[in-house]
Amino acid sequence: MTALAAPPRKKRLRAVPKVVWFFLLIPAAVEIGMVFWPAVNSFYLSLTEWNGLGAAKPVGLDNFKNLFADDIFRGALWNNVIWAIGFGGLSVLGGLALAVALNRPRRGVGLYRSAIYLPMVFSLAVTGLFWRVQYQPDGTINTLLGAVGLESVEKQWLANPDTALYAVLIAAVWRQVGYVMVLYLAGLKSTDPTLDDAAATDGAGPWQRFRYVTWPQLRGVNTVVFAVTVIDSLRTFDIVWAMTQGGPYHSSELLSTYMFQQGFTFLNLGYASAIAVVIFALALIFIITYLVRATKEEVA
Amino acid sequence: MVSVPLSRRGFLAGIGGVGMASLLGACATGSDDSSAGAASTTLTLQSSLSDPDPKAALTKVVEGYSKTPVTLNTIAIETFRAQLPTYLNSGNPPDVLTWYAGSVARDYAGKGFLLDVSDLWTGNGACAGFSDALKELSTADGKQIFVPTNYYWWGVFYRKSAFQEWGVQVPTTWDEFIAVCKTIKSKGVAPISMGTGSTPWVASGWFDYLNLRINGAEFHRDLLAGKHAFDGPEVKTVMDHYRQLVEYIDPKGRSYSWQDAVTPLTAKKAGMYLIGAFITSGVPSDAVDDLDFFRVPIIDPSVPVAEEAPTDGYFASAKSKNPEGAKELLSYLASAPAQQQFIQLAKSSNLPTSQQVDTTTFAPLVQKGIKLLNESKAITQFFNRDSSDELQTTADTALTKFLDKPGDVNKILAEWQASAKKVLGS
Amino acid sequence: MSTATLTPVPAKTAGPPPTKPKRRRGWVFHAVMAPLTLLWVAPMVFVLVLAFRSFDDIAANGTAAWPVSLSLEGFREALGRGTMGRALWTSVQVTVPAVLLSLLLASWAAYALSRFHIPGRRAILLTMLAGNLLPPQILLIPVSRVMESLGIYDTLYALVAIHVGFGLGFYTFVLHGFMRSIPEELTEAARIDGAGVVQIYARIIMPLCRPSLAALGALATTWIFNDLIWAITVLRTEAKLPVTAALLNLQGGYVSNWNVVAAASVIAAVPTAIVFFAFQRHFVSGLLMGSSK
Repeated sequence: MTALAAPPRKKRLRAVPKVVWFFLLIPAAVEIGMVFWPAVNSFYLSLTEWNGLGAAKPVGLDNFKNLFADDIFRGALWNNVIWAIGFGGLSVLGGLALAVALNRPRRGVGLYRSAIYLPMVFSLAVTGLFWRVQYQPDGTINTLLGAVGLESVEKQWLANPDTALYAVLIAAVWRQVGYVMVLYLAGLKSTDPTLDDAAATDGAGPWQRFRYVTWPQLRGVNTVVFAVTVIDSLRTFDIVWAMTQGGPYHSSELLSTYMFQQGFTFLNLGYASAIAVVIFALALIFIITYLVRATKEEVA
Repeated sequence: MVSVPLSRRGFLAGIGGVGMASLLGACATGSDDSSAGAASTTLTLQSSLSDPDPKAALTKVVEGYSKTPVTLNTIAIETFRAQLPTYLNSGNPPDVLTWYAGSVARDYAGKGFLLDVSDLWTGNGACAGFSDALKELSTADGKQIFVPTNYYWWGVFYRKSAFQEWGVQVPTTWDEFIAVCKTIKSKGVAPISMGTGSTPWVASGWFDYLNLRINGAEFHRDLLAGKHAFDGPEVKTVMDHYRQLVEYIDPKGRSYSWQDAVTPLTAKKAGMYLIGAFITSGVPSDAVDDLDFFRVPIIDPSVPVAEEAPTDGYFASAKSKNPEGAKELLSYLASAPAQQQFIQLAKSSNLPTSQQVDTTTFAPLVQKGIKLLNESKAITQFFNRDSSDELQTTADTALTKFLDKPGDVNKILAEWQASAKKVLGS
Repeated sequence: MSTATLTPVPAKTAGPPPTKPKRRRGWVFHAVMAPLTLLWVAPMVFVLVLAFRSFDDIAANGTAAWPVSLSLEGFREALGRGTMGRALWTSVQVTVPAVLLSLLLASWAAYALSRFHIPGRRAILLTMLAGNLLPPQILLIPVSRVMESLGIYDTLYALVAIHVGFGLGFYTFVLHGFMRSIPEELTEAARIDGAGVVQIYARIIMPLCRPSLAALGALATTWIFNDLIWAITVLRTEAKLPVTAALLNLQGGYVSNWNVVAAASVIAAVPTAIVFFAFQRHFVSGLLMGSSK
């Protein structure tokens, strides 16, 4: 509708050449075949019971009813909430702080920036392995803690149900902070430096200048960072799979790992699809946020 | 326009891999596969033997097979386990797969995934000479669907020299066993090693054995079939015994895989390890001769002695494009020379299922293992093999939780029963 | 602002500093940042060191000790029997066609949507973008079935296809933004000179899009190269596993051989690190396009 409201450009109003349809339809067909058609199937499967053989048996909403009576599912859902808050919160705080610190050009800034966003080019599985080594009972973290006399804090980070999820979280944040920092660096660059200088001449301290001058100008970036981290956190799979596979006893289980286990290990394909639908429903609101933002960019 | 460079790349992939001598078989298909359709002549053998020695051994055995080209695909056991149903269920499944005998195989047979190989078990078939127990183990709904090629025993492994240093004797009763644990602990060594980190199923070893020693094999099988409750009085007794062990188990084991947990044993930083005979492939060669094992101590002498003897082998996919070829490959793998070659190269102390293999030349440790099994009155497989992988995950959850919080045992057993019921009910 | 950020932003904060450089608290800045940065790179350095240690050294002294000697044993094993070498090559075979195809198809769609008055084009664009934002979990089970029915399950084509399909929406969206910012006059002039739709695309639009194609290319390369979940969903043959999946596979086989596992993760990390350093500028601007939208 907005498309029609846009000022018509004479030349474009002419019929669209055939070859252009071809240009559009091929990619669209690929995406429909690889993304939308499978997604629709998942919705259908979530209403069935199916082990992959023969025909799927429709069971209505039974899978969803069972899901909410399933302790492991509820645990995974709660873990996902912790994950979204921890992963989002820590990487936003870290990324923002670093972006502010590294915003102004000075000696060494390029080096610091590169070091901090280097981890994000590694795959999540590689990141997971990097950190698994550190978390071993005799690994670096415990050895360092022992060296500074903190033996009492030493833990079996990945084997302890109280710490496993957070241990994985730290590894994931380590990788994500650089990404968020880059986003905020871009956001800061588009802020108006004269406002900051004006505030400084008015005697505002660094915190006040950040709070009342810079921060309001970052609103757009914040929305994006928020949506991106939540969508990423719902997708998280590789790093948990590489580090704990959801253990010990489901304490680091996330919706995605539980779904994978149900679907591919136990062949409860209907049940697994129901979990996938829940993940989708949770992601939907943030996908919409992102799209709305994208639309604004398009219109602007 | 798009497919041309791709298939050329596929072809190059084959060349790129030629350097890896141990994977010649795999390379042949790396180029072969890009022209799909040749599948009916080439057989695929999907293997979960990803530890270096067994993998190399199977590669060698497969190289010795000349009737049809065979591609060997090795996928790490944890991924393999997770994906096995998907492999079997795919339109173009691998022809032959490594796996183990027991309920899991029967479960897949029940779903119609497995090829009927009954003719290998009759007449001149490769499995015709195998024992009746093995035949029964490989049977589902009156048909044989499995080809067992080796099995192994479980025992409490220790280093002879270490026991000497600590001045302890091999225990035969529960009380003696606890006393040994106490002595070893007093030397500042963890008495029991157990890697339950990425391999939580290891914790089921003690559970199975305590149940076998206290309640017997029949109860154990029935329990895993859902005929008894995990929060019943019998299992509570089992857990009371298990609880006595908790203080002696190396707490670092919770971060270890079973392989990692071998290292403290060989370094004499841990005393004993209840594990399968495959442990020998993880022990440095200079320590293997020092390695010994003893039978899990008797708790109730009136209960007939039972041992776990998990059986490994192969099954074929019902949807194989070349079922005759698959059966011929199975026959080859089950033959005495192939069994012997595999066992020797894999350094795993496994025992052959074929009675034609001369075992007198095997190491003394293996002889002892054969004797252990011959003396036992009943044989079980292992928790998951006697039940299902899905029930195994309920055991993993319950037992690792129990190791962390032995005080919560009643609550844990109630949860276990609830989740087991869900699995068995479905 | 929108179109401005759609175009790649140079990563270096060149340009004249708005205020005079503040020298006063420079040492505080470095006193905080230098240790922090060291802490940040420490896990990488540690794994790198571990990869060069020998198995006997690790078995005797633990993973956290200083190396007593350096050895290439881990790398030799990882590249040889661990098959990481072959996996690297597989990843190249998947990544290169997947990146090229995605960008090609995305540029077609973006061209059609940005330069022509296709009805409902905004809705089409956003739907395509939404497809990329879907959690992959919702596609896993059906995708493996779709690949089977296409007869390409367990082939690299399947992996390329899903990467192209799943990434298209995002690449289209970014390229669309860029193409819209190309002035109408440029293409109009060419059209008057008699250039057809395809010629305009090939001779004018695509060359102008080079910077954003480079940025997207750098980004897509690391995404596809680092993928795990699609690889283990559509492949089952060891010989076809790309790097990340092969790494996990190897980890299952060399459980307590930390030097081999470390060497393999270094091998898996090096190509993306090279892409990163070689295309750092493109990479960062790719990220910005990626998400400031």
